[in-house]
Amino acid sequence: MNQKLVNILLVEDDEVDVMNVKRAFSKNNIMNPLFVAGNGVEALEMLENQIIPLPKIIILDINMPKMNGIEFLKIMRENEKLKNISVFVMTTSNEDSDKINAYNLNVAGYILKPLSFEKFLTSVATLKNFWQLCEL
Amino acid sequence: MGNASILLIDNRKSLIQNIRKSFSEIDVKYTLFSAANEKEAWSMLDGSEKIIPIPKIILIDINSTNNKGLQFLNAIRNHTDLKSILVFVITDSKTDKNKVAALNLNIAGYIPMSFESQTLNSFMTVLNDYWNIIEFSSQK
Repeated sequence: MNQKLVNILLVEDDEVDVMNVKRAFSKNNIMNPLFVAGNGVEALEMLENQIIPLPKIIILDINMPKMNGIEFLKIMRENEKLKNISVFVMTTSNEDSDKINAYNLNVAGYILKPLSFEKFLTSVATLKNFWQLCEL
Repeated sequence: MGNASILLIDNRKSLIQNIRKSFSEIDVKYTLFSAANEKEAWSMLDGSEKIIPIPKIILIDINSTNNKGLQFLNAIRNHTDLKSILVFVITDSKTDKNKVAALNLNIAGYIPMSFESQTLNSFMTVLNDYWNIIEFSSQK
C-alpha cells in the first residue's frame, strides 16, 4: 500500500518524546520515513525550503519554544503548498483553548500524550490502523 | 462526552441502517443522526432541524457522480460555527480529483469503503477506536 510509504514529519521539542514516537513506530512496524523538527520555525524552514520531501502527515506538539504548534498551523494553512497536509496534534496540553484553536485550523485529531508508554503504544497502533484505512 | 453526536450523510437508506446497527454493536458512544442529502444535513446544522450541540463529527459519502458533497464541505468550512467540525469522507470514488479537493478542505480522512456488511463492523471499529483517542473541546 502506498500510504505505508508516505513521509511523516514530527514537530516536537522534547527529545524524550521524539524517542518515544520512534520507539512506538518501530514497535508497531510503522516503516514510514520519519523526519523531526524541534519547533515550528525549524519545521517551516524544512518544509518551505524543501529540505525534506513533502510529508502527507504531520504530528504536532503544541508547547514548543520559538514557535508553538498553533502558530505553526496558522502559517501552514495559509501556504498553498502546505495547507492540505493532515495534522495530528499530540500534546500534553489539556487546555480547551488549544483544542478549539487546533480544530478551527482543521487538524485531523487532537491526541493527549498518555502518561505511560504502554498506553502511548496503543494510541499509535490506533493511529496506524486509521492511516491504513485512509487514502492519504 | 455526554450528548456528543455524529451526523451521517448518505442517500442509501440500507447503509444508514447498517451503520446504525454497527454503532450499537460496537458500542459507539456518540449519538448518530442521519441525513439523506446535503440539503437535509444543512437544515440539521444551521436550519430548522438544528442539532444542539453541533455534531462533533460528520461522516459524508461523496461519490463520483456529483460534487454536491464537496460544495457542502466548502460551505461548512466557510461557516464560523461549523468550520471546526471533524469531517470523514467515505467514498466509492477512486478519482484523485475528489480526493485532492477534499483534502484541500482539510478533512480528517478520505476513506474508500467496501459495502459488504461483514466488514462494516471492523471498518467502524477502526474509526471508533480513532474517535476514542482524540479529544474535543468541552465547549458548545
